[in-house]
Amino acid sequence: MVKGFVGFVVGGLIAFGGVNAAGLDVVATSSGMGALARTVGAGRAQVTVLASPDRDLHSLQAKPTMIRALRDADLVVAVGAELEVGWLPVAIASAANPLILPGQPGYFEGAAQVDLLEVGSPADRALGDVHPIGNPHVNMDPVRMTRVASALGERMALLDPAGAETYRANARSFAAATEQRMAAWQARLAGAPGVVLYHRDALYLLDRFGVPLLGTIEEIPGVPPTARQIKALSEGLRGRSGVIVYAPYASARAPERLAKDLGWDARRLTLDPPMGADGSGYLDHIDLWVQTLAPPP
Amino acid sequence: MKRYNIDPQGLPREGFAVRHRLAERAGVRVAVAIALLTPMSAFPATDTELAELRAMVDQMKSQYERQIQDLESRLAKAERDAAKAASRSEAAAERAEKAADLATTESRPMTAPAVTPPASPESGKTVLGALDSGNAFNPQISVFLDGNYYHDGIDGEGATLVGLAYQPSRGVPHSDEADHGDEEHGGHLHGLTENGFNFREAEIAFSATVDPYFDASLFLSIDGDGTVELEEGFFQTRSLPAGLRVKGGKFLSDFGYINRQHPHQWDFVDQNLPYLNLLGPHGLQDTGLQLTWLPKLPVYTLLGVEGLQGNQEIFGATLGDDDQAALELGDTDDGPRLWTAFAKVAPEIGTNHALQLGLSYANNNQHQEAREDTLEHDGDHEDAHDADHEIEILRDGLAGDAQLWGVDLVYTYDGGGAYGHKSFKFQSEYLRSIKDMKITSSAHPEVLGTRRTFTTDGLYAQAIYGFAPKWTAGLRYDVLGMTNEISGSENASFGSSDRWTFDVTWNLSEFSRLRAQYAHNDILVAPGERERFDAFYLQFLVSMGSHGAHAF
Repeated sequence: MVKGFVGFVVGGLIAFGGVNAAGLDVVATSSGMGALARTVGAGRAQVTVLASPDRDLHSLQAKPTMIRALRDADLVVAVGAELEVGWLPVAIASAANPLILPGQPGYFEGAAQVDLLEVGSPADRALGDVHPIGNPHVNMDPVRMTRVASALGERMALLDPAGAETYRANARSFAAATEQRMAAWQARLAGAPGVVLYHRDALYLLDRFGVPLLGTIEEIPGVPPTARQIKALSEGLRGRSGVIVYAPYASARAPERLAKDLGWDARRLTLDPPMGADGSGYLDHIDLWVQTLAPPP
Repeated sequence: MKRYNIDPQGLPREGFAVRHRLAERAGVRVAVAIALLTPMSAFPATDTELAELRAMVDQMKSQYERQIQDLESRLAKAERDAAKAASRSEAAAERAEKAADLATTESRPMTAPAVTPPASPESGKTVLGALDSGNAFNPQISVFLDGNYYHDGIDGEGATLVGLAYQPSRGVPHSDEADHGDEEHGGHLHGLTENGFNFREAEIAFSATVDPYFDASLFLSIDGDGTVELEEGFFQTRSLPAGLRVKGGKFLSDFGYINRQHPHQWDFVDQNLPYLNLLGPHGLQDTGLQLTWLPKLPVYTLLGVEGLQGNQEIFGATLGDDDQAALELGDTDDGPRLWTAFAKVAPEIGTNHALQLGLSYANNNQHQEAREDTLEHDGDHEDAHDADHEIEILRDGLAGDAQLWGVDLVYTYDGGGAYGHKSFKFQSEYLRSIKDMKITSSAHPEVLGTRRTFTTDGLYAQAIYGFAPKWTAGLRYDVLGMTNEISGSENASFGSSDRWTFDVTWNLSEFSRLRAQYAHNDILVAPGERERFDAFYLQFLVSMGSHGAHAF
């Protein structure tokens, strides 16, 4: 027992002195950013994902095991724009890893690479948990994600020049794969009736394909809806068609009630692909959303 | 500024056609501008070139993404060339840049163009850094307000009594220390709580990155009487190698688990009995330096040591000058007198679970006590309390050191429900305080120089469960003095104090909470003398300002 422990510590210390094998140790906050990192870093990057897609990235708590993962990281890939503000800054600070501090090449935010929607909303907490910097959920727009991927490729090339060509080629092929699906998605979503979201988290997808947002169940971000709000919402939408989508960590009660009132479908969808997804896993995840929002054939 | 508003009509307001027309117009403008501004060598702007561009634009009217892309990459090239030409014609470059900005914000290529860093990121956007609400160079500021309505069955004495549970090493409350500079807290309790309404404290927290080398934080607390206290004011390194970090200033020690949490982070209104009685209402809060090391072991392991001044109320207190002289205790030593060491280990037990175990040790080189000693002249040790004749009350001086051991365990489960629903947290700590002293002065020469060891331990265990969205319920058991004894040349053992606490918390949002708490207390106030009482709290906690992030 004691011998084993000593061996464990000594082994750990030897590993501590060792240098990473070729490639990059990447830590992604969400499975969506993880999918991007896996695609762009294919063959050269080891990717660890911190949060599972069925948990709210915004209300997560910093955990010691996250700090342990960040301690070794060459690169952190976050969604950004304050989405992970409740836990990532504190986890990065505790990780004692100067490479990944914001401002260093080892810190990458997807939202910082593209232009955001809803920038400059008033910074007033009476409006709930608002983000004047802009809506952070850029991972729901496949086109923005191709741009994020290309910026990520450049960043990886900067950190690991030996793999520069690999990263750039990977980013290009992800963009090509996305483009291949775009036409079908656009066709499928032409004339989509619209959607009621729980929270304004799939906005980028709606904006990209011109799908109308018919309302949000959560009138104020971070504040659960009242029965009266739901009633008003359903009265405003009576007689129309559409679909209701809510995240697994949102309460199902209000969406299901609204669905019953309107005779619509209520669907539970994650904002991110499954834990181990790569680029095509991400595109399948967008595909699932497209099928959900599309008008019945 | 662009807001995507809910569209009651369900008509896509921003169809693709519209956007493409915009894009193309901008594109043409840019292309023309750049073409005209670029020197011949870089990009010959001939009539044919312009004509070609025009033709392209005509084609684009039939909406081909590809053409836009093409134009984009050409633009990018032109932009680079324009930048090269900037040395010769600054004005030209500036205009080209503006135009390029327009183009990048208004057109959306499917594939990213040949990547060049954007000419000029929008203000507030740094491609390397983190996006935030940017309040220029002001520190992040949060303000917490914490108040309550309190009621207990013993005229409001209860809130003070729980911090004065009997332990032999605190035989006498410190007196006449007012003239003494070292003793900052003459028995001060965090805003003394009475029956009725209490404003416990307002806490103001500032934090910022100082420069590439340091972060800094400042926590001020203002109690209900308006007394301002410095809770914490420290710097912490950002970029030391090898997983090392240094913290310096006044701070809450990382001894144990709950010690470093501020009252607004607690899951109950009040602090648990072991911390309250073995470390005092402020916990282990002191001035000094901390070094932590996070080695690259397979399992999260954090090791740390601290060297602190040692100005404590309970754990290594020194008495006032007058007492030190009268009781021959010796002067207060130079600091640092207080040393701590701690280790935390957290195995990986699944994405939605967290477990952390900790072991902590603290040693204060100097601890002084004045004890009232009851002595019977008959030398007959039956019961010191049964008669007050022939009993003399004398003060003895004791000097020595104090040690504290701590073991902690924390487990959390993220239930994934709405607003904390189904989440669970369990935490428990065991503290053991050992004060090893010799008698320095006494009316009885025969006891001079004899040893007295005071040992008192304590334990708390608490569980919090999110039983509904935004609602949590908590249950806590805490006990002080399972071991509560004097050993050495005098041996005596005393009983323990314990309590059961139940609370319900309503987290209205991330920024406000209301809490109701009921506790049944059984406190040993003196040997053989107990107070059993119920205590009830209604608490409000609100926070203003920055989105706080809390460590595990």
